[in-house]
Amino acid sequence: MAAHLSYGRVNLNVLREAVRRELREFLDKCAGSKAIVWDEYLTGPFGLIAQYSLLKEHEVEKMFTLKGSRLPAADVKNIIFFVRPRLELMDIIAENVLSEDKRGPARDFHILFVPRRSLLCEQRLKDLGVLGSFIHREEYSLDLIPFDGDLLSMESEGAFKECYLDSDQTSLYHAAKGLMTLQALYGTIPQIFGKGECARQVANMMIRMKREFTGSQNSIFPVFDNLLLLDRNVDLLTPLATQLTYEGLIDEIYGIQNSYVKLPPEKFAPKKQGDGGKDLPTEAKKLQLNSAEELYAEIRDKNFNAVGSVLSKKAKVISAAFEERHNAKTVGEIKQFVSQLPHMQAARGSLANHTSIAELIKDVTTSEDFFDKLTVEQEFMSGIDTDKVNSYIEDCIAQKHPLIKVLRLVCLQSVCNSGLKQKVLDYYKREILQTYGYEHILTLYNLEKAGLLKPQTGGRNNYPTIRKTLRLWMDDVNEQNPTDISYVYSGYAPLSVRLAQLLSRPGWRSIEEVLRILPGPHFEERQPLPTGLQKKRQPGENRVTLIFFLGGVTFAEIAALRFLSQLEDGGTEYVIATTKLMNGASWIESLMEKPF
Amino acid sequence: FWNKTILSQLYSGYNQPCQKKKKKKKQMLSFGKLCQFIEAAGHEHRPDMQKSLLRAAPFGKCFLDRFPPDSFVRMCQDLRVLNAVRDYHIGIPLTYTQYKQLTIQVLLDRLVLRRLYPLAIQICEYLRLPEVQGVSRILAHWACCKVQQKDLSDEDVARAINQKLGDTPGVSYSDIAARAYGCGRTELAIKLLEYEPRSGEQVPLLLKMKRSKLALSKAIESGDTDLVFTVLLHLKNELNRGDFFMTLQNQPMALSLYRQFCKHQELETLKDLYNQDDNHQELGSFHIRASYAAEERIEGRVAALPKNEFAAKATEDQMRLLRLQRLLEEELGGRFLDLSLHDTVTTLILRGHNKRAEQLARDFRIPDKRLWWLKLMALADLEDWEELEKFSKTTQQI
Repeated sequence: MAAHLSYGRVNLNVLREAVRRELREFLDKCAGSKAIVWDEYLTGPFGLIAQYSLLKEHEVEKMFTLKGSRLPAADVKNIIFFVRPRLELMDIIAENVLSEDKRGPARDFHILFVPRRSLLCEQRLKDLGVLGSFIHREEYSLDLIPFDGDLLSMESEGAFKECYLDSDQTSLYHAAKGLMTLQALYGTIPQIFGKGECARQVANMMIRMKREFTGSQNSIFPVFDNLLLLDRNVDLLTPLATQLTYEGLIDEIYGIQNSYVKLPPEKFAPKKQGDGGKDLPTEAKKLQLNSAEELYAEIRDKNFNAVGSVLSKKAKVISAAFEERHNAKTVGEIKQFVSQLPHMQAARGSLANHTSIAELIKDVTTSEDFFDKLTVEQEFMSGIDTDKVNSYIEDCIAQKHPLIKVLRLVCLQSVCNSGLKQKVLDYYKREILQTYGYEHILTLYNLEKAGLLKPQTGGRNNYPTIRKTLRLWMDDVNEQNPTDISYVYSGYAPLSVRLAQLLSRPGWRSIEEVLRILPGPHFEERQPLPTGLQKKRQPGENRVTLIFFLGGVTFAEIAALRFLSQLEDGGTEYVIATTKLMNGASWIESLMEKPF
Repeated sequence: FWNKTILSQLYSGYNQPCQKKKKKKKQMLSFGKLCQFIEAAGHEHRPDMQKSLLRAAPFGKCFLDRFPPDSFVRMCQDLRVLNAVRDYHIGIPLTYTQYKQLTIQVLLDRLVLRRLYPLAIQICEYLRLPEVQGVSRILAHWACCKVQQKDLSDEDVARAINQKLGDTPGVSYSDIAARAYGCGRTELAIKLLEYEPRSGEQVPLLLKMKRSKLALSKAIESGDTDLVFTVLLHLKNELNRGDFFMTLQNQPMALSLYRQFCKHQELETLKDLYNQDDNHQELGSFHIRASYAAEERIEGRVAALPKNEFAAKATEDQMRLLRLQRLLEEELGGRFLDLSLHDTVTTLILRGHNKRAEQLARDFRIPDKRLWWLKLMALADLEDWEELEKFSKTTQQI
């Protein structure tokens, strides 16, 4: 079912099965036919855990989206609400319950809080007079969802804003709980490293939670050697730059949601003989993207410029394989060929899809505007002219290019300059407000609070020091056969991944100075293991590090970490966890305020 | 008792070197009979009889191939326990049948009720009962009784309990603390709660004991924002506004959480909070948001932005623009309000009011380069090629 989760060093299927089991148990508790009323936000993540078929096995007959007024009619015995613990949703639920048609057959109500119950919400239900109507009120701790064999995400959209702007620790609490669940299934993690305020808080919470469970001693042999907690605001630069890996570009241009991407359908229309394309599909083509697809697993993390050659090689291989049918003479050989057919057809379909996607991406990357934008980004990242107003950005504003694009560039400049000079900052801000509207002053304020677009304090630009010490800009980058992680941005090595790389070898002591410049404390903790479970590593066996990005991670960073994992003498394999999979656009969007 | 006699004879007989008899006696033994022996031992009250019967069993076991030792071992254990409680110091003359019916748990309860803790703990350890079922319950009970000892000071009791209990799993400090609170020893309860690691238990009890401020600190320490909210709402009802705000001031995390809550539920309170903090920037943002939600836009923002120079200037500009837009709407009709400056100028050009557009651009000091782009795009939209040509002749930059 989810075979792609078992491929990696750590079998994440164990987690998925545990989570599915919990869901089944809850569904069985509410005996009889059921209808589920969904909090829309949850449908995406849930899709990665359980398909409708599983729900049907447990007598779920209908599914509705949560909205106000009365529930739609359904001939079921139970109504179950799957919701996040948010007050506004409680109001809607109360409305649903209270406007229940008394004349119809009585239905039992239940509520499943994801990921956690909330006293606050239950109080609200009580105040609205409906708390007693629920027979089963439970929580379903779905914190970390496995996306792929080495990737977990909480898909918590507001996490960055909550943690860094609103000082709301809720997502950190959920992250800590998610880590405790992981440790219950995969063993206590002996060493914890971290950098950043939020990292420190998560580590404290983990240690505290461990004390709360001193009863059940964990007797599972530890799978992970280390945990590295990283605050997003330690590396504000990376998400702002345009990603240049295949998967990264798909995300930048079309947006990948819960492993699915929606693409313009024209290129995917099946070629019919003689029709001439008059029946072009109008609905967007939806594709699932994960490592279960062989070809995708091969090309997803490559720099886009290296994808073309892989695809053409693959095309030759597949054609040759299909040509084999001419060589099959005996019945035995024909039989063998036929048995291979499904696999070959799947490979051919996969190749066709990705060739189309690559064409779509190429249309964008070969455009003049993309080239200009990339040039400016690379200038900033290599430290050129970061202290003056940039004319390309000015032109973009004057031509009213999408605001998010402008904001990304302006923030990139600010971060690469450790903040802009007041004059430059004010100029940009004025231009933006005059062109896009005064209401964006709130967004600008948020960006300043987040440290993305702020005035330079102290008059010093720290970025060159960081860049040089950590070797963030590599001039000679090989996109086809990369030797360093900087290939994911064609020259820029993601700061966060560099930190992870250096932690593994030779350790952070060698970069103490730079660490002090970067925001937040850095620390190391040990969690005691019961004797007998101490891990003895075989020579040549790699360490397994779980790296947790608090605030979001991009696909390019994931690609860079995967690159490190498969290095011959790397010494470490990575499993990546995060609060949200994101890109620069979705990140800035989460910080925007739209007053109307 | 014929079995006993037979086996005793066997036993004694065995010590005689008589081979022929051995074979015959072997056939008389069977599985069932051996079980009966063991059971018989159970019913005996005198240790010496028990011993002799029991000794026969392993002896008989040698003749049988696969006699499971479990029943034997269990019987030995049970007998030891029974002998111990039958001892005149304890004085519980249980028969074996009674014991089996009561179950070990109930026996332990009885012992515990009689405060015979050491014996109870010994029995648990001997029988290897899992901690949660055995030792923890006993310790918890002991601790509950200890808190009722009025002659010891709070300090001593707390320390004594902690020493005995340590971090034994399954012992709920909060239960013991609740008991202490029930006896009226609130201070002791608080000291005991210090040892309770589960904040989910700690905090509600602290609230019950009216130690709300302490509850707040503990909740914040745990990082569980839901818990913090619960305490906050409790505090809100308990304290008057001034005290409540003062408490929030001392706990920055609680303050930010409360702000979040107010954003969704009680906007007015939010304003008061910002006022109290002298947080002008936030106050400014608040007013801006409010002004977009309200009808009269302009006046609402006046009070807002003293500190931040840029924002103040921008707001002034915006107010000017809004006034102008209103005038334009009245004069020319159509929608102007809330458009950005750029869009306003563009709209004017699109509708042929070039002079006004220029005037506006000059008033707000739009830089030349941007203005040219704006004009270019607008004229292209209009497909006013003549004007465009005229315009391009006058500029060289683009």
